[in-house]
Amino acid sequence: MSASTPPLSGPTKPQAKALNCPKCGAAIVLRSFGQAETVVCASCHSILDAKDPNLAILQQFEIKTSDIKPLIPLGTRGKLRDTDYEVIGFQRRSTQVDGTTYSWREYVLFNPYKGLRYLTEYNGHWNDISICKVLPTVDHNMFGGSSLTANYLGETYKHFQTADANTDFVLGEFPWQVRVDEKATVTDYVHPPRVLSSEKLDKEVTWSIGEYMYGREIWDAFRLPGTPPEAMGVYENQPSPVTTNVTGMWVAFAAFAMLLLALMAGFDMRANKKPVFGQTYRYNRADSKAETSFVTDVFELTGRTSTVQVKTYAPVSNHWIYLNYALINQDTGQAWDFGREVSYYYGYDSDGSWSEGKQNDEVVLPSVPPGHYYLRIEPEADPSLAAIPYTVDVTHDVPVFGIYGIAFLALLVPVVIISFRSYTFERSRWSESDHPPMQLSSSSGDDE
Amino acid sequence: MFRKLYLLYGALVLSTAAFGQYRGWSLDTINQLKNVPKSVRDNPGSYRSVYGFYHHYTGGK
Repeated sequence: MSASTPPLSGPTKPQAKALNCPKCGAAIVLRSFGQAETVVCASCHSILDAKDPNLAILQQFEIKTSDIKPLIPLGTRGKLRDTDYEVIGFQRRSTQVDGTTYSWREYVLFNPYKGLRYLTEYNGHWNDISICKVLPTVDHNMFGGSSLTANYLGETYKHFQTADANTDFVLGEFPWQVRVDEKATVTDYVHPPRVLSSEKLDKEVTWSIGEYMYGREIWDAFRLPGTPPEAMGVYENQPSPVTTNVTGMWVAFAAFAMLLLALMAGFDMRANKKPVFGQTYRYNRADSKAETSFVTDVFELTGRTSTVQVKTYAPVSNHWIYLNYALINQDTGQAWDFGREVSYYYGYDSDGSWSEGKQNDEVVLPSVPPGHYYLRIEPEADPSLAAIPYTVDVTHDVPVFGIYGIAFLALLVPVVIISFRSYTFERSRWSESDHPPMQLSSSSGDDE
Repeated sequence: MFRKLYLLYGALVLSTAAFGQYRGWSLDTINQLKNVPKSVRDNPGSYRSVYGFYHHYTGGK
């Protein structure tokens, strides 16, 4: 908190120093109380020496495009990270990659007690930048070229991009000797939501640390009218919307899968799988004109409410047999009504041999309470079948493995979705870097 | 955030699977009826299955 820092907007406002441009005579306002090295005349675009009482002209440049306007006007005051700042400088910089020019905007912020701070904006993505207080350490690449990682305050940053940045346009005050068309080598290392940047100009290297900010936060901080420009694409240090540790999710999934396996083994061992009825019958077409339905002997289901499995076997061959079943509780009149077909077909055609169906069938009845039961069976069969035997087996308390299959999928799907979202986001991020995903994969396999 | 939610969700999935297994849930669709007359035991033809008009497969490839 900045309780000891008096706000800029108060009864005793600091007074800006008013001077005139030696080139065009326009008023020059100095807001940074002697911290500026250079100041730019907004009228004639002369870069002036702010340390010189006469504001010596250091450089003059022409505006190449008329649409270069700061999104936050100079002199705007706002509260950033609980500290009041005033925008005192603005510059537009650009870099060329593969013939394409990418430009971004940088704002110099000033607080008389806290000093300087910077904001950058590229395609609606903002960063709050400050100069590093400790020199980062860089892990040098033994093969030459850019370093792959840098460390700052115990955090490791991955190399993202190295590019030459050109200063296209400047306005306001700057705490360094700013020049238009000045080129610096900028190297970015990322650890979202932070970015660590080194800027090399001649032999001088400046390190800065930035943290990603959303346009809405900037608009709120400076009470800007309208809405911030919409963020386009994925920025180098933009935090992923999947704010979780994907590896941790997979570890949790693995733990749940193991628990599920243990659950399956436990219930399988606990299940009685008790055969309670078994009988072979014969279907005769000659008898089908009379009533074909019949009932079985009564069998008893003991223990708790559980599953009942009914298995049917019939040696069909290019035929079918269909059995209308009803498992009926002799005492309560409760019934489970179901029909099962056993059919098996096979043959040969131009594609070779084929087959479909099988000679056995099984069905699991849910939540059958204990009691005395019998089966009502009503068989039907292929008209071409004169007679066929079929066997009916009833087993009490069998495990249903499909439940585990559904549970496994239910556990897997969210992890896959989150992993996919995270992967596509990171892929978009790194596709803009010096290490695009395709290049990484091709270089790793380039052993020949 | 996601991980905590997932841990809760996973615990719920496992609990549901265990409860379902304990209560004897099944993936097969079975029609349940109540109060089937006791006369069915003596006269099976007095009961007609809801699946009695099943359209049988008579095909093959």
